[in-house]
Amino acid sequence: MVTRVLDGLGLYFEGRETVATGFPSLDRLLPAGGVRRGSLVEWLAGGAECLAGGAECLAGGVGGGAISLACAVACRLADPRWMDQSRASHASTIVVVDRGQRFYPPAVIPWLDAMADHAGKGGGRPHLVVARPSRDDDELWTIDQALRCPGVAAVLAWPRRVHATAMRRWQLAARASGAVGLLVRGLSECGFSGQRPGGEPTRPSGPTRPSGPTWADAKLAISPVAGEPVADLAVRRLRLSLAGGPWSGNEMLEERSTELLLDLTNGHEATRRHLVPAPHAAPVAVGRLQAAHFQTEHFQAGGFQLGEVACRAS
Amino acid sequence: MSRIMTIWLPRWPVQRRLLERPELRRRPVFVCRRERRGVMTVVAWAWAAPPRRTGPSVPQLGRASGSRIPAGMSLAEAMAVLAISHGSRACHIAEVDHDDPVADLAALEELARYCRRFAPIVAIEKSSQHEPVGPECLQVDVTGTAGFFGGEGPLVRTVVWTLAARGIHARAAIADTPAAAWAAVHHTDALRADCRHGHGHALVRGGRHQRWAIVPAGAQLETLAGLPAAALRLDAAIVSQLRDVGIETIGSVARLPRKSLASRFAPQMSLRLAEFIGERPEPLVVPCSGELPTASQAFDFPLLLRDTTLDDLVAVIERLLQDCVAPLVAQGKGVMSLQVRLERAQSVELRETCTPAVIDIGVFQPSSSAKHLVELVRLRMARMRMPREIEGITVEVVSAGTAECRQRTLFGEVAETSAARVGMLLDRLAGRLGRGAVFEPRPMADAQPEHAWAAVPPAASRSKPEHRPEHRPEPKPEHRIGSKRSHHAGPHAARTMAFSTSFVAAPQRRPIWLLPQPVRLETVAVVDSSRVSALNQQADATSGPPVRFRLASQAGSPMHEVVKAHGPERLETAWWRGPTVRRDYYVVETVAGARYWIFRRLGSGSAGRPGSEWFLHGTFA
Repeated sequence: MVTRVLDGLGLYFEGRETVATGFPSLDRLLPAGGVRRGSLVEWLAGGAECLAGGAECLAGGVGGGAISLACAVACRLADPRWMDQSRASHASTIVVVDRGQRFYPPAVIPWLDAMADHAGKGGGRPHLVVARPSRDDDELWTIDQALRCPGVAAVLAWPRRVHATAMRRWQLAARASGAVGLLVRGLSECGFSGQRPGGEPTRPSGPTRPSGPTWADAKLAISPVAGEPVADLAVRRLRLSLAGGPWSGNEMLEERSTELLLDLTNGHEATRRHLVPAPHAAPVAVGRLQAAHFQTEHFQAGGFQLGEVACRAS
Repeated sequence: MSRIMTIWLPRWPVQRRLLERPELRRRPVFVCRRERRGVMTVVAWAWAAPPRRTGPSVPQLGRASGSRIPAGMSLAEAMAVLAISHGSRACHIAEVDHDDPVADLAALEELARYCRRFAPIVAIEKSSQHEPVGPECLQVDVTGTAGFFGGEGPLVRTVVWTLAARGIHARAAIADTPAAAWAAVHHTDALRADCRHGHGHALVRGGRHQRWAIVPAGAQLETLAGLPAAALRLDAAIVSQLRDVGIETIGSVARLPRKSLASRFAPQMSLRLAEFIGERPEPLVVPCSGELPTASQAFDFPLLLRDTTLDDLVAVIERLLQDCVAPLVAQGKGVMSLQVRLERAQSVELRETCTPAVIDIGVFQPSSSAKHLVELVRLRMARMRMPREIEGITVEVVSAGTAECRQRTLFGEVAETSAARVGMLLDRLAGRLGRGAVFEPRPMADAQPEHAWAAVPPAASRSKPEHRPEHRPEPKPEHRIGSKRSHHAGPHAARTMAFSTSFVAAPQRRPIWLLPQPVRLETVAVVDSSRVSALNQQADATSGPPVRFRLASQAGSPMHEVVKAHGPERLETAWWRGPTVRRDYYVVETVAGARYWIFRRLGSGSAGRPGSEWFLHGTFA
């Protein structure tokens, strides 16, 4: 009883292993210095109230980068080099519960290959398994079953509607097996003040604390940093903030947030030198566009040679 | 009257090795066993193709091995005997191998399966423990099947010649009882000699060395009376006892009064004699064949669905599953897929034939755990429509695979490895979501993004990626009766994970979130007026991403301003796949910082409009 209370407060550490996520900025944000095995982490994406929808996925601007970061963390957790020495067997399977059939694996497979190449002959390769439930209750059941399995390192899912009992059951399952649940949710479901529908999209001034308790061990709000586009395509600039959960502590008054550069080529954190300030392009009316910065590329795609296409508007 | 054919494969351990390695034919081969105190005794030996010598005749393969080197002689003595007969060079080139009764039995079982072409019931003789050599004979029940070959004579000839064509030296004999056939096949040359004296029995002989014999029905005592008493499969102690008393042949044994037999000799004596005559039946034990087990349960009264619960049905199915799994476990195999059929009662008044409700269960990893399989059945049964009345349940194993053996730890907290648990998880997920809904993605070399990856069934049982399977250097298909090796389960088991990914596009150019169908966009683009006239034929006057875009289907959706764009990346599909797909892809970044993957469709034929068709294909979520 006492342990349960303390566990809820986040003060009672059961001695579970803490794995560094491989993103130093994120590790600094988390109080334990990493993600603890057997925990649930909620990632709140910017304006993603339609994650599983079809054509509505532009309504809130789903291209925030939350799922990419969650995938990168999942790959890191399943890295066989971080295997738990105390346990007889290590978990190196990532289960992606793809409700809505949106997940595109070729964006993630190079990260696993880079991890395998980096590990060399000694290490293995994390296994990526995709499950596609077609109903909501199937989705909740799949996440529950995947979190119960000790051989699973991370479960990545984006459930639309989750009630508190389901999340509590997942938390208990994760505690028992040591798997980490990474749930990507939409901000509007948790009481965030999203973007105004219609008109110009507003720039979020800063992440606000959500209302309502959660069973997840941590709630991280992720939003892309707007206004300063990154010159390098391979780097994404994201803003993270710890927005809830027992890890954030109950006595925190200030908001802990940080910026993170996600290197898309290998799923690691990029250093600051990738960030090259680009000329700020102010939105102008049609017809009088000036200094719009369009990149010119010359590369091969799919075996077909592509000539250089220069596009510049006067 | 039953007719049993016995096929004798003399010196089977040596023959098996000669089949695997034909180069041993030129050398004498000794199969030895290490007894206590380190003495090596010979189990069997042979020299298939000895050089021509003018010395004493070399024992042929077919003759009884008691002539020169009997079984049980120590290796040193055997070598000495060999040196005397063939010179010391024979000892130098001799091949000495250790006895492997398990492999011998496995090879014999495979040969028994091969011999099913002569008759359906082929059994391996039961060998007693004290004999140094393992079983060497196959007992085939040929009752009534001789007609297919044109008679017993042609049948027996066919058997010997077919095996000889495979390189196996065999002898065959047909008699009423297995014991009589055994005696006949071990002494076929003695029978040939008897025939010359014209006893009036129809015996068939053939070849230079007598290789087959047929004992007429009901006449085994008369025909085989002249054979030595050891042909009754008696122990050496009993044979010496008989010799002390002066009894040498089977005929003499049969003339003894039965009561004195039982009192003076071991009980095996009267047992063997009864089996020989036919008073005591000797069943043939067929080795576990390749057929997969099936278990079924029929109910006296049809079960009504409203009166039975799911748990009761599952309990019945679990019991049937255990019956099915037990023989597979004995073979070291596991269930790969099975079928559960719930037979419906045929209602006479409706006059309809009800097809049974069928549940197909497949697992990714061969499983021998009835509990795991019944859980999958329960998951499936919970979601399907059950028939109202169930008359019987049948469980049939459709395919089986080799299951890996795991040693249980005494104090270990995990009974199974994580790979096994992941395999069970995948089975459960596939059981509820469907087998096509659980997969592992693999990149494919294809330009079109939708086809750039393929879903393969997850191979849950896999070895370490860097180990390759050890394979035999030259696997000969006709000599598959080799030693028993354990193979990894499943074809994916030992495939290395390092497939070439040179064709995979850079990850920053591919979105993590791809729509199944591209969505049309309404775009606001900048038109270069100076180039419109020049590019009149082309569908687009602009070459570049739009400045603003929004969804075409929703009128009130907000416009997204494009701040930065990377591209274009032209992807074209192969012409043989169907309608050509030519797209210019752009990675655009909006003011809010979101990234989208949009493309312009080229060559679509809408030549009149200066603006072309833009689609949204994915988001970098």
